[in-house]
Amino acid sequence: MSHAKTPHVVDARFMEPPEPFVRTMEMLDTLKPDERMLLLLFREPHPLYKVLRQNGYTYESELRPDGTFEILIGR
Amino acid sequence: MQALLSFDKAPPFAAPLRFFLTAPLFAMAASLVLVIIGPEMLASRWSPALLAATHLVTVGFMMQVMLGALIQILPVVAGANLVRPLTVARWLHAGLSVGAVLLAAGFLAGRPGWLGIAAVILALAIGGFLVAATRALVGVPSTSPTIRGLKLALAGLGVAVTLGCVIALALAHGWALPLVALTDLHAGWALGGWAGVLLAAMAYVVVPMFQLTPGYPARPSWAFPIILVGLLLAWSLAVAIGAEILAQAAQLAAAIAGIAFSALTMRLQSQRRRARPDATYRNWQFGAACAIVGLAMWSTATVFPVFGNLPGWTLSFGVLLIAGGFVSFISGMLYKIVPFLAWLHLQNLGEGAVVAPPMNRILADVEMSRQVRAHVAAVGALFAACWQPEWLARPAGALGAVASAWLFFNLARAFARYRRHAAGVPVPVSTP
Repeated sequence: MSHAKTPHVVDARFMEPPEPFVRTMEMLDTLKPDERMLLLLFREPHPLYKVLRQNGYTYESELRPDGTFEILIGR
Repeated sequence: MQALLSFDKAPPFAAPLRFFLTAPLFAMAASLVLVIIGPEMLASRWSPALLAATHLVTVGFMMQVMLGALIQILPVVAGANLVRPLTVARWLHAGLSVGAVLLAAGFLAGRPGWLGIAAVILALAIGGFLVAATRALVGVPSTSPTIRGLKLALAGLGVAVTLGCVIALALAHGWALPLVALTDLHAGWALGGWAGVLLAAMAYVVVPMFQLTPGYPARPSWAFPIILVGLLLAWSLAVAIGAEILAQAAQLAAAIAGIAFSALTMRLQSQRRRARPDATYRNWQFGAACAIVGLAMWSTATVFPVFGNLPGWTLSFGVLLIAGGFVSFISGMLYKIVPFLAWLHLQNLGEGAVVAPPMNRILADVEMSRQVRAHVAAVGALFAACWQPEWLARPAGALGAVASAWLFFNLARAFARYRRHAAGVPVPVSTP
């Protein structure tokens, strides 16, 4: 799946925890330093945010009208 | 990086569990009051035994679970960490338990002084929690409807508790206050401004997450908590200035907002990706259906007071909202939260070296679903008992006690399995 913001997308909207977390971690491991990934979820993943901050990642989240949080993650 | 799935700052399992295991006992006590007192308890909404049972459910069951869950869930849904969560949990749990028992005893024994003491204990316990939660949330921006809803719900709790204390102290000391209007407002803030707003804020997260439904659309999600709190403020203002029409309009609009939220939840559930309905889905479907009928009955009584004067009308919509709605929603949450926390803590205990058992081995769906059927039967019997108390009051109480005891048994069983697994988890060998 691709998105206008980045080709690296994890659409975790219909996944049960902890799968969104695990899939995100797996994709982050495959990214090159200048690449970013997008996580789609119906909630803000605060525990993931904390792990991202601890590991030097930055993120921006945007709430879409359908209730999807688009979380753009990069270095 | 996967090892970082460890939620090292999550409060210990004991912090929320004490609330979850105590709560069903209070619901059982409320049902047993109906068994003991019988039909006369359902003679009026002001019957002391009914007020006792109502507070055993709302403070003893609902508030125990909601506040206990918040201690656990604030870091997950809002990124807000309580300072010393176990200490907060100990004091809050003790205060809520003693306060609920004293409140119920005060009503049952006709001792207004006990109500005053209960009010002070509950105000201290809940006030302490509100201070701790506010400190945790200060500086947390409202980046999602859930966080804003949480903040508004905590404000609603503050108003509901303040009103409850004023009423209890007025009864204890014989203060001349408009107690009927204040009691309606107390119920409105407690069930709408606190429980209703908190439920919505949590539903935005847990319904899509646990039931694999689409998300709640953004605009109504932002709007619902603000609308509900705004309407409660309008209702409060109307009581203060004696504007009866404004009070009725605000009540009607609040009921319609609640119906819209419940209907939206049912619609999202109908679009879920999970093929098989589980116990949580059934609890939430039943809860939303009961809430819609109960709120429609409340609206009808607001517009046409003649219905509200029918014997059984007010009590039966109260039963639908509290026992049918909130107790079902909360039980559904418990059936996800307790196995999930057990799994999470086992996972952390194993430190990645030992895999925790799947959640359905901690509490199987068939075990939960049987209890849900007992709960549905109990709510049906309670609703019918409001109209035929002579025949049905005691059987309905007995059914309610069975459903509550069963909920306790299921949760205790999950905890026992957690402990068994925890005892069997080998200590991981640390590497230099």
